[in-house]
Amino acid sequence: MNVEEQIKDILARITRVDKNIITRESTFKEIKADSLDVVQALVAVEETFGIEIPDEDAQKFQNFGDFVSYVESRVPQKEKV
Amino acid sequence: MSLEGKLALVTGSGRGIGRAIALKLASQGADIVVDFFRHRESAEQTAKDVQALGVKAEVIRANVGDAAKIDELFDTIGNKFGHLDILINNAASGVGRPLADIDVKAWEWTMDINARALLLCAQRAAKLMEGRGGKIVSISSLGSRFALPNYTVVGVSKAALEALTRYLAIELAPQGICVNAVAASAVLTDALKFYFKEGLAKDSSYVTPAGRMVAPEDVANVVAFLCSEEAFMIRGQTVIVDGGTSVGLLALAGTQEKQT
Repeated sequence: MNVEEQIKDILARITRVDKNIITRESTFKEIKADSLDVVQALVAVEETFGIEIPDEDAQKFQNFGDFVSYVESRVPQKEKV
Repeated sequence: MSLEGKLALVTGSGRGIGRAIALKLASQGADIVVDFFRHRESAEQTAKDVQALGVKAEVIRANVGDAAKIDELFDTIGNKFGHLDILINNAASGVGRPLADIDVKAWEWTMDINARALLLCAQRAAKLMEGRGGKIVSISSLGSRFALPNYTVVGVSKAALEALTRYLAIELAPQGICVNAVAASAVLTDALKFYFKEGLAKDSSYVTPAGRMVAPEDVANVVAFLCSEEAFMIRGQTVIVDGGTSVGLLALAGTQEKQT
């Protein structure tokens, strides 16, 4: 499963929405993710991929696509190290 | 009051009250472990400011709502320093919702971070304080005893924290560990400024009988006193820092009026 699918699974599990409605353009509000859902999703993604996503970075995510791109950019970086 | 040579862990000390406490204890000579969960840049800034006061600072990331992360945090402190003198249980989180909208997830999240963390951190801290005594101070809020709008889960978690403070004070007294709490009314922090910005609260609602809002430094000053030897005989208490709000019925009534 690729990064996008894994994050989609995490978000769908936490917010209890159908993962098929989540697109790269979806905002957290559209996925019905409240602030607690977002924090829990960030933590779950951090643990899944072994990375850290500080709030300073997370606050810049406009939609699901931004979230995925950020994680994708960090995962290979970590693997190189 | 001097804390020279002491080591203090301040949970959630990247920002707000925790940061003010870290700086206050550092100004009295204590080395500081800066714990954070979500804001690394802020934590690193606190550490830099602590170091600028001439003491050591160590930044460790740990979500105190996660028991395994608390173990990791104390394992790191144990391995690096071998002891601890002061635990400030400050990290807090919460969900501001009406009672009807509080689900299990919101309850557990809030209780784990605000109340259970004190139990787990105190257990581990007591071991690192063995043979040397220590101080444990938690940060509570007026919501532990007054019903504030949309504050139920946090208020209940703070009530649990204050009760736990009393039990810990008795159980840890034979080890020379003083356990207390400080409860503040609304404190002017970035978190509260966010609520102002979002229109969820008005700053005028929080002016106290003392004539201004409570600042993080007001809380830090009392915490520092409770960490001093002068406070040795204060045990299991929750000291209120609210500029008189909770004892002034007229002031409280004014607060209610302004919020509606």
